[in-house]
Amino acid sequence: MKRGDIILIGIVIAIALAFIVPRWLNEDTSETNHEEARVAKITVDGKLFKTVSLTKEEQTVEVNTEFGSNTLKIHDYGIEMHDADCKDKVCFTFGFVDRNGGTIICLPHRLMVEVEGPSGEGDDVDVIVK
Amino acid sequence: MSSLNEHSSIALKRTVIVSIFAAVAVVLSLVEALIPVNMSVPGAKLGLANIMVLTCLYFLRPRDALMMVVLKTLLTAFIFGTFSSLLFSIMGAMFSFVAMGFLLLVGRKRLSLIGISIIGGIAHNIGQLTAATLYFKTSKIFYYLPMLMIMGVLTGIAVGIAVRYLVPALSKLSLFEDFLKEETA
Repeated sequence: MKRGDIILIGIVIAIALAFIVPRWLNEDTSETNHEEARVAKITVDGKLFKTVSLTKEEQTVEVNTEFGSNTLKIHDYGIEMHDADCKDKVCFTFGFVDRNGGTIICLPHRLMVEVEGPSGEGDDVDVIVK
Repeated sequence: MSSLNEHSSIALKRTVIVSIFAAVAVVLSLVEALIPVNMSVPGAKLGLANIMVLTCLYFLRPRDALMMVVLKTLLTAFIFGTFSSLLFSIMGAMFSFVAMGFLLLVGRKRLSLIGISIIGGIAHNIGQLTAATLYFKTSKIFYYLPMLMIMGVLTGIAVGIAVRYLVPALSKLSLFEDFLKEETA
């Protein structure tokens, strides 16, 4: 290890923390506005598949497309991948997502779930494009 | 005549080394896929194959290492049969290769192999996230970059240490004696 390495590691960790720490702080303030539920945008192959609101009650969303099938589970104002018949299972590593900007991606199935703030006006909720 | 022979012998040795390294890198990717490490950060992995890329960059010319990276990426795509992720692998591998090659040329004096492998790992992540951004047409995935960077530091240190043991060990082999550099990390 040279001096440069240590400086480099310091810089990298500083940059990473500069992004992570504000996120933690935001989480505390957003904890109170749970009444306005967030929504999860589910897209398949770039097209909107479904928009679901993230409720406290448990609900499951089945996504069956030509690319494969996934089951998403919504509970406690968040969403997680429950079941998928893909090969790599990377989608499970995303875990439980309940924050704005959180994403779940299943690459082989071209599936993407994005968590967004409360749905604004004119959002076509529960429209299946396919 | 003898110099011509020597020339082709070096070219042959290069080819052999590139193919051996590519094969080892593929095996390391397979081994890595078998280890059930739950990194809890999506997309994070050990990056054992990076050991071979970095070693290759260390001994051979950048274009030989590029050849090795392309071979390794294609072979792993064939073996895993995940062509949907080929774009992602190639973007990651290319970003990582360019970053490490550049640092080996420029920052050789200031950075050791550990620092270079950290940057290589993070560049790999950035490449994959860029591919995902192009593919899904959203930049939201960069949300995970800070976590990936911290993981990249840890795995980069591990990979860098492995390379530091591998380089002196390989240097003792006669196959590598034409490619030795004066300075070691």
